[in-house]
Amino acid sequence: MELSLDRLTKQYGSKIAVDHVSADLKPGVYGLLGANGAGKTTLMRMLCAILESTSGEVLLDGTEVSSMGEDYRNLLGYLPQDFGYYPNYTAEEFLHYIAALKGIPRGKARKKTKELLEIVGLDFAAKKKLKTFSGGMKQRAGIAQALLNDPRILILDEPTAGLDPKERVRFRNLISDYADNKIVILSTHIVSDIEAIADQVFLMKKGQFILQGSVPELTEKAGGKVWELTVPQKESRKYLETMAVANVRHEGRQVVLRIISDRKPAENAVPCMATLEDLYLYYFGAEDTGLYDRHA
Amino acid sequence: MDLIRLEHKKLWRKTSVKISVLLFFIYTVVIGNILVYQWFTFGSSNHDSYSPFGNNFDGYSMIKESQEYSRTFGGTLTDETLQKMVSDYQTNHQAAKAGDEAADRKEDQTDWQIIDHWISGLYPELKDADRYQIMISYVAPEKLTGFYDRRTQAIEDFLAAGGQTGAEREYLMQLEEKVKKPFSYEYVEGWSTLLGSTVAELGTVLALFLAIILSPMFSGEWRDNTSPLLLTTKNGWKEIARAKIIVGLLFSVELFVLFAGSMLFCQSIYLGWTGWNMPIQTIKLLSIAPMNMLQAELYEYAFAFLGSISFAGVVLLISAAVKNNVFALLFSLAAVYGPMMIVQYLPFSLQKALDLLPLVGSSTDIFRTNTFCIFGKYIWSPYLLITVPVLVGMLCLPFTVRKWAKKLKK
Repeated sequence: MELSLDRLTKQYGSKIAVDHVSADLKPGVYGLLGANGAGKTTLMRMLCAILESTSGEVLLDGTEVSSMGEDYRNLLGYLPQDFGYYPNYTAEEFLHYIAALKGIPRGKARKKTKELLEIVGLDFAAKKKLKTFSGGMKQRAGIAQALLNDPRILILDEPTAGLDPKERVRFRNLISDYADNKIVILSTHIVSDIEAIADQVFLMKKGQFILQGSVPELTEKAGGKVWELTVPQKESRKYLETMAVANVRHEGRQVVLRIISDRKPAENAVPCMATLEDLYLYYFGAEDTGLYDRHA
Repeated sequence: MDLIRLEHKKLWRKTSVKISVLLFFIYTVVIGNILVYQWFTFGSSNHDSYSPFGNNFDGYSMIKESQEYSRTFGGTLTDETLQKMVSDYQTNHQAAKAGDEAADRKEDQTDWQIIDHWISGLYPELKDADRYQIMISYVAPEKLTGFYDRRTQAIEDFLAAGGQTGAEREYLMQLEEKVKKPFSYEYVEGWSTLLGSTVAELGTVLALFLAIILSPMFSGEWRDNTSPLLLTTKNGWKEIARAKIIVGLLFSVELFVLFAGSMLFCQSIYLGWTGWNMPIQTIKLLSIAPMNMLQAELYEYAFAFLGSISFAGVVLLISAAVKNNVFALLFSLAAVYGPMMIVQYLPFSLQKALDLLPLVGSSTDIFRTNTFCIFGKYIWSPYLLITVPVLVGMLCLPFTVRKWAKKLKK
């Protein structure tokens, strides 16, 4: 199975949301990383065939997906970014409903619902109405509905939004177990999630893939650009205002700064191992400063 | 099938649906039936009050006594029975005025409103312009003769005054000839209330609640933001559109059955079926339809039933065409109450055309002499008022699917 994106483009008026994106996706987990407005959601909606491209095409094993209709939708599991649900349904009823939409027979749907609610940790709330759910619980119900038909292509838009750390770990394990022989595409702001499970990462900026590769391949690109600098507290402000600082750690009266920079920021700066977060900050630092907690 | 079951469950789960059905039940069954029978309309009058709220809470026994009283006239309406009824009323009226309580109650049991309507329509020359009382209280009973001849003449005069001449008159008079005479007679007032308002208004009230409940059927998906889910599932928009249409129509049937059932239950308790074979002409003398009370009731229920299914089709189309719940509701209400509001300002032919929209026309046209002229052939309006709205409603359904698909894929 191969999902190919061939010069896929989406234009809204004069604004290009996705700009001639091409890639060949074989079974595996793919992470889409990019700032808000980078075009991730637009790209995912085109992959799901719910948004028509302005030009270019999405092909599954050489066949244009929009022409495959329900054959393609039968292979698909999708969690949209703003996941819509029916507030008066219980989690169980909601999954039964989506199962019916997916054409899953009643008996199988009941079995699968029970199984998935257990997997996402919602078995205790199966009979509770969705409107009483917390954000994280709703998100887990959303993940469960995407998995109902055992999709060969799973597309998850910000699946870990609203999940607490324990739930995120559960989600990562679930996806890792699930991904065997399937194409899983997920977008997130949370770099560590992608770092943990993605086989391939696409860095998206202004509608284009600016970098792609495995996590080690990508972090290698940030090699020599990550520095650790220990400075007195009063001097730290100067670096925070002028440089991309990935992390700030207080050690007594001293402050240890993790700085992303092409050049050595100070004489006493020490080079260190780059992570995917550093790479992200290197490319998006200026436009998405909310990603890092500067006071951690 | 599973999707239809779940869609149906989803609809009934909504708080707005539960509240609407409860309000509808209170309005239609409790206020519109139980209180009307027991209190407002059939409770014996309390002379200290001129309001229906001042009536006594004894409708059940009054109806039963009235039915029994009407049987004393032998079951057939002739000049003699009419004279006897008027005479009987006047005797009771005089005694009641003198303070006889039993006579006062007896006066309430007579069909005085109906009889007064007959004599004021057929014997206008007996009306005394200087008297403020109703005719039945003073007219000389022995002068009430030639009831059926006068009625035929009144119909002819009425048709001529309305410009219904030639072939149209012939057509209507042919219908009139089929009305069996002399009329059988039992207590009419109960049937008059039932057919003139209780059942006749069911459709208008159903329209309000169907609009409230069904208008978010499709448009609500935008509020719930579920379109990405619907579009990426195997059965997706097509099956859900089918399920929603079936559930919308099914719901209108359920709502109708629930309330028609409750109303029939109330009727069987209070009025029963006594007098079912009376012609509807006993309610309105100038009616030309050869129908008895039971046939008229069946027509009115069928009118409300088919009207609500048809109106459900219209509401579903509006819901699929509009993305906002409030607009969907407003347009749905406008589809039925809009024409009702503007109809009086339009030429008569346009009024009749608007009446063909679902639940806009009235089932009480069975008491009227309205016709439609289609390719030179006259058709009595109730035939078209019950069939054309069904075609309109059903015609909306394929457009509903198309609109929904178009909106969803945008």
